[in-house]
Amino acid sequence: MVAVERELTETLPAVAAPVTADAIPLVLRRRGASVREVLAMTVVGIFALALFASRDLPSWVRGIGDERVVEWAETAAVKWDDAMESLGLVRPHEALRAWVSWALELKWSRDPR
Amino acid sequence: MLFPTLGFLLFFLVVAAAMAVLDTRFTAKKAVLVVASYYFYAQWDWRFCFLLAGSSLVSYLAGQLIDAAADQRRRQMILGIAVALHLGLLGAFKYFDFFISSANQLARLLGLEHELPFIEILLPVGISFFTFHGISYITDVYRGDVAVCRNPLDMLLYMSFFPQLVAGPIVRAAYFLPQLARPSAEPIPIGPALLLILVGLFKKVVIANYVATGLVDPVFSAPTSYGGPDLLLATYGYAVQIYCDFSAYSDMAIALAALLGFRFPANFNQPYRAQRLREFWQRWHISLSTWLRDYLYKPLGGNRQGRLKTYRNLLLTMLLGGLWHGAAWKFIAWGALHGGGLAVERMLEPWIGRRALSPIAKIVATLVVFHFVCLAWIFFRAEDFAMASLYIGGLASGWGGGLQQAGPFVVALIALGLAGQFTPDALFDRAATAFARVPSWGLGATAGIIVALINALGPDGVAPFIYFRF
Repeated sequence: MVAVERELTETLPAVAAPVTADAIPLVLRRRGASVREVLAMTVVGIFALALFASRDLPSWVRGIGDERVVEWAETAAVKWDDAMESLGLVRPHEALRAWVSWALELKWSRDPR
Repeated sequence: MLFPTLGFLLFFLVVAAAMAVLDTRFTAKKAVLVVASYYFYAQWDWRFCFLLAGSSLVSYLAGQLIDAAADQRRRQMILGIAVALHLGLLGAFKYFDFFISSANQLARLLGLEHELPFIEILLPVGISFFTFHGISYITDVYRGDVAVCRNPLDMLLYMSFFPQLVAGPIVRAAYFLPQLARPSAEPIPIGPALLLILVGLFKKVVIANYVATGLVDPVFSAPTSYGGPDLLLATYGYAVQIYCDFSAYSDMAIALAALLGFRFPANFNQPYRAQRLREFWQRWHISLSTWLRDYLYKPLGGNRQGRLKTYRNLLLTMLLGGLWHGAAWKFIAWGALHGGGLAVERMLEPWIGRRALSPIAKIVATLVVFHFVCLAWIFFRAEDFAMASLYIGGLASGWGGGLQQAGPFVVALIALGLAGQFTPDALFDRAATAFARVPSWGLGATAGIIVALINALGPDGVAPFIYFRF
């Protein structure tokens, strides 16, 4: 009780006015990369994404919307997906999708029927 | 063009390639970023590009004129005209039909037969954000807080920079324009930037999307069909959804700007852990709350003119903050609740304001603030004021049944979203530091694989970000 009372009578440090603080603090900005490394990272990232998300590539391509590009690109995306399937790279995607479908179907109690 | 789409990824690849090719040619880089930003904006409707350019021109000219003006009265007049032009543009596109509809309702109540016509114009995406950018620049030049921008290219880029163009954060001129004066000598913080993108993607694609489709959308569209438990859970769900949706956009905007060599201010800081409403506004949409504080609350007199005027200023600021979100009474109600809450908190300050809280009191305070914010979110999310009233009526009664709508998966996502409010900052810092040690190709591969996994976890397609409509 004494401890609580003591704590209640202490004053809070003044709340600092919200300043325009950098979202990425200085301490995390000390180590970094060049613009060329950013480009390299983007290219490698897109390639890795194309490898493991090939199942969705045809629908993403349709989402671009440019008629001239879409038809050709969609055919290429389907072929790419077939190639990834033959390599077994679509398995993580399908396993996760199956798990999410199962999780979404979960109910709080068993159906009495 | 949404961030988590193939179209945007390819767009960013082209921009990143241009930045790499131009390397040290800073002016050319800025020109490329302006062209890219206008291309990005044109994906919604190319006609809005003229609006954005017009808004930039007004800001640029007003800055020059204020700087050149000899006397204070003239400077004040130019500031007034420029701010009125910005607000006029915003009013015409965003609020005209709302005021016409309200005037017509009033006329009907008074028994008048004549009705004013609607103009039904499409709301340009991001108009609220770039209008605030423009006003912030002109006001800062007037106050002497920022040097006048002599380079039209810098002004065009400040107003249109694509990572923040359509949903913020609201970047102040005094913060961003100096970054355009000379190239940054700092390396690009690739580790934290990638981590922000991945965290943002998970929050948007997995948490916000499933909580919206699995619980919030169905419950809010027909609140009378659900009992108290579903209504309460959907309220918590919306609190998590809007946080995960909006903060995800901010995270990605901050990260994209960082990858292009620019710094952005923080926009969110675990808002639901706030123990006071005032603290909530220091953690939620920080760039808007500080904007409202500096360009509205303080010019109204802030807390310098006595207690009653402080309460009035808080209420007015939050009412206008509510109206900024949209032309509807439900947003005004949301703003009024927050303004009233802040005023009441200020009134109670002699009793609660300056004392440290015991651990239990801290938990109670956090819960009280969270539930107050949730109550206000009901108005924010409901279709209209009447639906919000029905929703709150349902919450006050009908607690007989259990949960009908949400399954364990959605509840787990809500819990995860709330748990994220209490993770220590050091966790992010440690992960970002670890990321920064990996070579860029390794980071690219890791990020590509994680994005693929997040995509597999999410539903098909990506819903637009909530704040696009503001």
